[in-house]
Amino acid sequence: MNILKQGLLASILTVPALAFAVATPGEAAPDFSEVDATGEMHALSDYQGEWLVLEWFNKDCPYVRKHYGSGNMQSLQEKYTAQDVNWLTVISSAEGKQGYLGPVEAQNQAKIHNLNASAPFLLDPDGNMGRDYGAKTTPHMFIINPEGDVVYAGAIDDNDSANPAVIPESNNYVVAALDAALAGKPVAEPSTRAYGCSVKY
Amino acid sequence: MPKLFALFFALLLATSVCVAQPNLGEDPLSAHGDHVKVTWLAPQSLGADGTTTLGFYFEVDPHWHVYWRNAGDSGAAPRFDITIDDAKAGPIQWPFPKRLPIEHLTNLGYEGNTAYLFEVTPQVGSQQVTLDVNLEWLVCKVDCIPGFGQMSLSLPVTPETQWREEDKTIVDTFKQRVPQRLETSPYQVTSLWPLGEQTLALSISATGQQAPDVFPLDGSLLTAREPKTIAAETGWELHFKRQPGVDLPSDTGFVISNHDQAWSAPKVPIGSAPVAAAPSQSIVLLLLAAFVGGIILNLMPCVFPVLSIKLFGLMNTTASGGARTREGLLYSAGVLATFAALGGLLLALRAGGAAIGWGFQLQSPIVVFALIVLFWLMALAFSGVFEFGHKLMTLAGHSSGGSFATGVLAVFVAAPCTGPFMGAALGAAAVLPAASAMAIFIGLGAGLAAPFLLLCVSPQLLNRLPKPGPWMDTLRQFFAFPLYATVLWLMWVLGRIMGDAGWLLAGSVLLALSFCLWLGQLGRKGLRLLASIVAIACVVFAVMQLRDNSGAEASQTSANVWQPYDQARIEQALAQGQAVFIDYTAAWCITCQVNKKLVLNTEHTTELFSQHDVLAIRADWTRHDASITEALAQLGRNSVPVYAWYAAGETTPKLLPQLLQERMITELFEPTIGDQ
Repeated sequence: MNILKQGLLASILTVPALAFAVATPGEAAPDFSEVDATGEMHALSDYQGEWLVLEWFNKDCPYVRKHYGSGNMQSLQEKYTAQDVNWLTVISSAEGKQGYLGPVEAQNQAKIHNLNASAPFLLDPDGNMGRDYGAKTTPHMFIINPEGDVVYAGAIDDNDSANPAVIPESNNYVVAALDAALAGKPVAEPSTRAYGCSVKY
Repeated sequence: MPKLFALFFALLLATSVCVAQPNLGEDPLSAHGDHVKVTWLAPQSLGADGTTTLGFYFEVDPHWHVYWRNAGDSGAAPRFDITIDDAKAGPIQWPFPKRLPIEHLTNLGYEGNTAYLFEVTPQVGSQQVTLDVNLEWLVCKVDCIPGFGQMSLSLPVTPETQWREEDKTIVDTFKQRVPQRLETSPYQVTSLWPLGEQTLALSISATGQQAPDVFPLDGSLLTAREPKTIAAETGWELHFKRQPGVDLPSDTGFVISNHDQAWSAPKVPIGSAPVAAAPSQSIVLLLLAAFVGGIILNLMPCVFPVLSIKLFGLMNTTASGGARTREGLLYSAGVLATFAALGGLLLALRAGGAAIGWGFQLQSPIVVFALIVLFWLMALAFSGVFEFGHKLMTLAGHSSGGSFATGVLAVFVAAPCTGPFMGAALGAAAVLPAASAMAIFIGLGAGLAAPFLLLCVSPQLLNRLPKPGPWMDTLRQFFAFPLYATVLWLMWVLGRIMGDAGWLLAGSVLLALSFCLWLGQLGRKGLRLLASIVAIACVVFAVMQLRDNSGAEASQTSANVWQPYDQARIEQALAQGQAVFIDYTAAWCITCQVNKKLVLNTEHTTELFSQHDVLAIRADWTRHDASITEALAQLGRNSVPVYAWYAAGETTPKLLPQLLQERMITELFEPTIGDQ
């Protein structure tokens, strides 16, 4: 009985995520439309015909700190935005939960973190975008091609240690996927287990 | 990083106080972080010849947790980077975890203290073994805090391993929870196959065990969420949700636990769905279920009166024990022969590709009509409206033909009363090889025949029954009423099959038969002949009408929340994540009608269903319907009732018991929060 109840509980809890198809490699990316910290609206349709990277962020998550404290994430943002790839960093923490930022704070934090994304943080406090995408963790990464299809969903790299010292020897999935996809080649590993902290919906 | 160094020095200070190993006074024997303290689980000395299990003991604050090797939807397993001198260290052994639902995710880990173990084997001739370990862990409640630490240990090698009692106890406790080889397990993995795009199904067989807790080893392939567990004939089928977009490898691993112990199935090949659930090893169990189901059939309202009267016949006779035994055997032969014939017919039709199932004979209006007439005559006879003519009486009562006929009759009247235990056995019979299927039919027959036969062969038992007397007449008259009720119900079935014309036709024939009986009793030979001719003519006319009309549309379901069966509609609802409840039913199935009346058609259920936007489907199998038969076969059943529940967002059903209670419907909607 307990198993049944837990199973039901699990299925009920995940209904919002299941009711819509979550972002799945090989399928069309879910639509979104959210404002960034400066109040500008961003929608999936705005990026039609262009490459787009989505990154889920929570400033207090040790795994986010691993990649920002070491400068790893910012250097990726810099490298790929220079190649005309759009990069949106999304905060789905609900108000009152860890990592939530209001517009003003978000602008400040963007500066403090040296964010090199295409826009200051995309703010998704109601979690709609995060749930539609099935964003589970921070950092959870998605790559969307100019046709609007997801080509990669998962972790940033293959090392789920929180220690920044492991970054140089880690295999960066996002780099591998973007480099392959931009060169017109298939992505070898289009889906990986996203590690990190749970998104605080 | 400065924090780490501070921690390091704090550790140095701390360990210089606890001088368990005097020669290692300055080495850290423990590591600390927020909400976590890690210590060695090690003996005082290592045995020279053999392997000793050591470990790291994680003392974790209440409500915080650390992780298993597959951390689940978020989180991270601890890391142990062990350097060892003069010995070999084995891989980390992970005690089986617990599912930890954290908001929208499920993690796999441990709440409270836990130990991660590993084996150490000293090299031959070594005097001392040194261990250095770099540790990293993640401890979470909702928020997570990573921790780092370094620990060392030096152990002398002695002939025997020497433990401090309390450390040994902890090691042994957790060692018991480390997965063992699957061969030693009561659970057997039968197959693993993809079920649609989103699910991987694992079938596990076991007897006499509770449902296992199964944890996937590969978190990038399967989500950690509790799999949907469906009890199958021989064990369970577990439906794991796949990570979207991940291609299937050729195999994957699981840990199977019974909540006390666990076993490891590291490489289960991913293949195709098991062929017809192949429950060969449990054929004995199925036979037993069939037998018990058959025994219970004796008590069903359509069977009990017939058998009771037969029994009175036996008690009345002054027949010798031998004669009675013969009666019992003949009756049994009648039951078994009829079951064999029906089973053979079913198998032959199945071999011919027809999609049919148990109770199929009641889908024919002619069979239903014949039963109506039969029950009507029996009921009238029980009521004493007429005496069975002495020829009829001998046939039904005392002659050998009578006992055989009673057996045949018992099977026919029993068919609609699919009782408890029978569903599973009949469902298996539908997919089993012919020989096993036939064995199940015979088993059912044996069960139906057994109580009567037992009474026949055992005078002691028969003597225990109350002495014959006038009360038997009263009881017989009383038994007429369940038979009248059966007639009413069968008339309704006929109405469902044929529409209103069925009612009228059958009712008219019953009226005509009653008139003929009265006519026949007037005593004049000519009248008797006339009565017989009229009665036969009526019945023949009715059967011809039924043959012509059997294609007529039945009146469809009444206007309520229940929708008629429509596969496209169901698939659409499932794709949209809507909850779906399917009631596989038939008018001739008593259990179905009882459930419908007491549970499904109540205001309570209707309200719950509309409140939760449940698509309620009534799959009416009263008439032969290939698509419903097909759907039943996919559920591993070939009889009704079957109740399939698809929770919102699920595409695999949970089957409810055949005897429903309102509580079970309520429970579908009120999951209680698991102890977090």
